[in-house]
This record gives sequence, C-alpha cells and structure tokens, in this order.
Amino acid sequence: MQTSPKSNGLFPTILASTVHDIKNSLGTLLELVRQAAARQDGQSAELNQLEFEAARINHSLMQLLVMYKVDSQKFSLDIEESAVTDIVNEAIHQQARLAGLHNIDLQVDCNADLLCYCDSPIISNALAAVLNNALRYTRNTVLISVAEEDGYVHIAIEDDGDGYPPHFLAADLNDTAELDWVSGNTGLGLYFVSVMAGLHKNAGKSGFVRIDNESCLGGARFKLFLP
Amino acid sequence: MSFSLIGKNILIVEDNPVFRKAMRDMLYSLQAGNVVEADNGIAAINAMSKNCFDIVLCDYNLGVGKNGQQVLEEARHRKLIDYRCVFILISAEQTTSAVLGVMDSKPDEYLTKPFNAQQLMSRLTRNFARKEFMVSIDKALAGGDLSKAIQLCDSLLLSADKKMHLHLLKMRAELAISAGDFDKARQIYHEVLEHRELPWARLGLGVIDFQNNNIEQAIAGFQSLVADNPMLMECYDWLGKAYEALDQYTDVENVLQQALQLSPQSILRQKKLAEAADKNGNLETAEKAYKSVVKLGKHSVHRSCSDFSGLAKLYAKTNAAEDALKTLEEMRKEYANHPEAELRASTVEADVYKTLGNEELSQKALLKAVDICSRLGNKAPRDLQLEVVKTCFLSDEHDKAEEILYDLIHAHIDDEQFLNDLRRMQSGIGMDNHSEILIQKTKQALIATNNKGVALYKQGKFKEALELFEQAILTMPDNKTIIVNMLKIMIHDLKVNEFCEEKNQRIKALFIKAKQIGVDQHKLGILQMEYAKLRQSQAVKA
Repeated sequence: MQTSPKSNGLFPTILASTVHDIKNSLGTLLELVRQAAARQDGQSAELNQLEFEAARINHSLMQLLVMYKVDSQKFSLDIEESAVTDIVNEAIHQQARLAGLHNIDLQVDCNADLLCYCDSPIISNALAAVLNNALRYTRNTVLISVAEEDGYVHIAIEDDGDGYPPHFLAADLNDTAELDWVSGNTGLGLYFVSVMAGLHKNAGKSGFVRIDNESCLGGARFKLFLP
Repeated sequence: MSFSLIGKNILIVEDNPVFRKAMRDMLYSLQAGNVVEADNGIAAINAMSKNCFDIVLCDYNLGVGKNGQQVLEEARHRKLIDYRCVFILISAEQTTSAVLGVMDSKPDEYLTKPFNAQQLMSRLTRNFARKEFMVSIDKALAGGDLSKAIQLCDSLLLSADKKMHLHLLKMRAELAISAGDFDKARQIYHEVLEHRELPWARLGLGVIDFQNNNIEQAIAGFQSLVADNPMLMECYDWLGKAYEALDQYTDVENVLQQALQLSPQSILRQKKLAEAADKNGNLETAEKAYKSVVKLGKHSVHRSCSDFSGLAKLYAKTNAAEDALKTLEEMRKEYANHPEAELRASTVEADVYKTLGNEELSQKALLKAVDICSRLGNKAPRDLQLEVVKTCFLSDEHDKAEEILYDLIHAHIDDEQFLNDLRRMQSGIGMDNHSEILIQKTKQALIATNNKGVALYKQGKFKEALELFEQAILTMPDNKTIIVNMLKIMIHDLKVNEFCEEKNQRIKALFIKAKQIGVDQHKLGILQMEYAKLRQSQAVKA
C-alpha cells in the first residue's frame, strides 16, 4: 500500500476542507450582497466595495486550493485545445462588473481563430486575477492582446497606470522557489500564474511569465507565454 | 449573440435557497421562460422523468442524499436526458473529474461558484454550438448506426472548422476503434501526437494495443502515461483491465489502490478493488473496499445487491458470522422481492450457518439457493452461479453442483477469464483440475462444430452451416464464437444470394443478441460496417 509522500498529519486535509468551507460561505455572502445591491435603486459605493472584496477573497482562496493540490501531488493539468478568445473572454466575464464600475475602457485584440493548448479553466482564472489588478491600478484603459511567437502563444494585459513597483520588476518570477516578491494580492496573483504557466510544457519548452513597464499605454505590462 | 434561452426547458438543482434564487434570477434576466427547481437529488431525478430538459444546472454538493455527480449518472443511465441536453455541474472549487470520482459519466461542463450571467451565457453558447455541430453524429450513434456516424464524421472533418478539428479527430478515432478499424485509429493518434503530446491520443494507442491483445505493450504505454499524468483516472482503469487480462490480480489491486487514493468517490472502482483484493486473499483491504461500496451505493445508480453479499461473504471468511447475517438482513430490506438478491443471501447463509454448526439452517438455505438458481438459469450472473456451485460442493451436493457447472462451462467455454475464475474456485476448495476434462472436451466440441460449419460455409452450403450452428447454440447458449460465426455467414449469404427481408430481420436480431452476451464492440463493429455497406449497395440497386 502506498501512502502519500507528504502525510504530515491531518493538517493539509483540514486546511483544504476549511478553505472549502470558507469558500461556500463566501459564495452565499457574495450572492446576498448582489441581491441587496439589486434591490437598491442607485449604486451604493459600499456595497460595490463589499462585492469587490468578497470576489478577491474568493480568488485568493481558489488559488490557495489549487496550490495545496499541487503541493500534495494531487494535481495535474487537463490540457485541451481551446480558442484563445474563449479563455480571454472567460477572464473578462469574471471581471465584467468591476470594469463596468470603474468605467474603464477594456480593449481586446485577439484573432478569433487562434488556438492554444492549455488547461483553460486554470489559465482563465489566473488571467482573471491579473486582470483584476490591472483594472484596479489603471487610469482609463486596459488592453488585452494575443499573438503567436516562436512556438508560444502569448497573452498580454497592459494598462495606463503607474506600472509595477521596482521590487516586482527586479524579481525573477520564474524562480518560484525565490519568494521574496510574493506579498499582497498582486504578488500572489503573479506567483500563481507563474507556477501554472511553468506546468505547461511542450516539446522541451515551458510556459512562463514576464512583466515590465513598457506598455504602449504607458503603464504596467504583463505577458503570459504558453508553449 | 444568436443563442437565446427563450423556449429552453431548464432545471436548477441546488439545495441552498440563496443560490437557487440567484440562479433563477440570473436565468430570468437572460430571458429564460421555463425554469424548474429541485432542492435535492431525488427531486431532480423526478423532475427529469417528467420533463425533457435542454439544460440542467446542477450543484455538486446537495447536502444529504445524492450528490450532483450521482444525479448525472442516474439521469444518463436511466436515459432521462440524452445527447441534446447540456448538463453543467457546479461546485465551489475548481473541479476536475478525478476529485468527483467520475468513472463513466462526465458532465458537459464544470462551472465554479460564484459565477455571473455572462459566464453562464458564454458556457451555454459554447456548449450548444458544439452540440449543434456534432448533432448528426450523436443522433446516428444514439440510433446505433456506426457506419453513418463515421460517414458524417468524415464529411465534417472536411469542412475545415479549425476549432472543432481536433475534437472531431478524437471522435473519429474512437469510432474507428468501435468499428474494429485499428489501423485508422492508430494513424489518427500518431498524427495528433506528432503535432502535440496529448494524453488522450497516447491513451488511445494503449487501448488499441490492449484490443489487439498486445497486453504487455499496452501496460508499458499506460504506465508511462500515468507517470506523467497522475490525475488521468481513465488510465488507471485501463491499466487495471490489462493486468486483469494477464490474470495478475496483485497488480490490479495495486493500481486500483493508487487510483482510489487520488479519487476515493468512485463506487465502480471501489467495487473492482474489493473483488481483486478478495481474489488475492487480502481480506482487510477487501472488507474496507466493500464497506465503501455499500456506503457509496446508498445514493448511486451503480449500487447492486452483490455489494452487500460481497461484504457478507467477507465477514463469513473472517468468522464474523453475526456481521455477515446482519449485512444480509440489511440487504433483504433494501432489495425486497428481488430473486437475485435472495439467491445471493441464501448462498452466503448456507456457508455461514455451516460454520456456525447449524446444519439444518445451512441445508435449508442451500436448497433455497439451488431452487432459485435453477429457476433463474442463465439470468443469474455467472459469478453467482459459481458461488452456488462452490457451496453445493462444500455441502456434498455434488450432483447439483455438476449440473450447474456443466451449463456454465458450455455457455462460457470461449471466455478464458471466466474459466480461470472457475479453476480458482475449485482450487480454493481443494478440487484442483476438477473440471479440466469437461472443459477440454467442450472446447474440442466447439472447435469441431466450428470447423464443420466453416467447411460447409466454404462449400457454399450456407443453410446447412447455419443449421449446424443453430443446433450447437442449443447446447452452448450465449456462446460468442458461434454467434459471431452465424453473423458472418448470414452477411456473406446476403452478399452472394438473393436479398430478403427475413434474413435482414434475423441478422438484426443476432446483432442484438451478440451485444447482449457481450461480444467485444470492435469485433462486432467490423461486421456492423460490412453489413451497413451491404445495405447501402442494396438500396442503390433497388
């Protein structure tokens, strides 16, 4: 009989169950907030904020659960061929309310025929977290663009905000053992998407993430490369 | 967006009233008109038996009772929904089928809570587009027309829809396997793999090896595949099947243990583990697995009375007679007026009472078992008939035992796996090689009949050959080789002789029979394709 290699007591299982339970409560909370918001005629800033924060907690928990599974070796990607537009649209739909609330001009430049191989729910969720940050830190515009390059499909999310702080730019995102830069929501989101990108492999190539402040809009630029 | 919910029948299955209301509001805001709600699994099944739904949105965690996966399995199993229905399984965490213990029935889509109207709409749009694209193939398959499904798939592949191309290739390869056309399937998988290392294509190659009886090669392929994709549960199942074909039950047990550690919710896998561990004499593992099976079976369409009798038998083996009897009592409650259940119960009871030293009750139970067994005849599962034989031998009812054995051996003479089970049973009670002479004689008789039939067939004496096989089937009912031979002759007959409706009807009936007795699909597929071609050319002539 085999035992799992990291069976250091019950804690991991309890952690996973607890997170699961919090997620359930959070889901109910989020729904009640939505229903309350719908009943109010005018827009309520507090309720919107509440909804936004609940959605963020939800995102973090989702990522935590996935990372837990990766750690306990109960995770492998489910790679399928998907239309990149579908993946991008799923991320946009997840964040649609936020974009609407902040009156942000969200532009998308994606060839409808472009296909890529990936675990699309995982990638959509990871992109949604990055998009969430872009929507928060941008001034007016966020641009999502997709292209093919050297056997990679890359998806870029850029904005016209102040850009990434220097310690993010200095960090090696693809060295996921080096965790100095992982703090705050942005850091966690980037960490998650880096790990998930790295699990995507094809013909000797691995997925990766690159960030800089070279956006054509003047702010931060995030790029995900999938082999 | 051209897709609309207007006129669609939608079922929401969700126990939490807040979410239920949320989904209902969402659907109404998307112009849905016909929305039905259920707050538990049984209510969902009832709703599906009354109405035909286009969309089912079902939460996984439904509190007590069935979970969402069990609702889906039961709905598909009982044909309450068909290929046109989009079934979306909703859960709180990012879900994969492994987590949910899916073994034979995947939903069309998984959706993670919370979601908004746009997300829901884009999933539904995508799924309906896919279904619409595939509808002609699915319809042909639902009608059992393999040849038409292949034609349709081929013409869709020419239509150059880039997004659907890979999906169609996968479908085409699976259809080729069903039709016994392994070369075509292999060619497709290689083509796909040249482009990209995709687990399903690798798995397909292993399946072809398995069907071609290259079991060792299949095992090597499956092993390297699970090493790279530890969550590919399907692959564990194939690995188990391959080891089973080699009669290596220790390996079967190990593979299933591994799979269940990752995905403990699958009742079918637990059942296989219980059976394998039982065969290996690992009673502790078997007991644990049977207990899980009984527990998981509570709300599952895959439950069976054999789950209870399996557990009871184990208790009997470990001298826990009381537990055994208690389990049987529970089983009788769950399966009232169920002859198979009663047969299982009586067989185990005969054993248990004997060990308790109560000859009278043991004898009574055995007589009852023998009586039900002869009444059920071939309808009693063969493993159960073996049990009865064993109990008869142990109780010195040799005549009765031989009688059942004779029929069993004749019916399953070309099934080596079953014959091994039979041998194992006999060795287990100190009767090594007991039936070997009968088995060899029966085998020779089958070969003789076959040779004679084939010779007649080669001389063009179709009628005589068929008559010979008809005779043989009386003594070897449900014999796969004979049924397949009859089909071959009849199809050839149609090719060279006059077409007539009566022959057609007979062929159709034989196909149904062949399916019932479990002739491998790929063997049947070759004949189905040949027959379909024949029908087509006849239609052209007419």
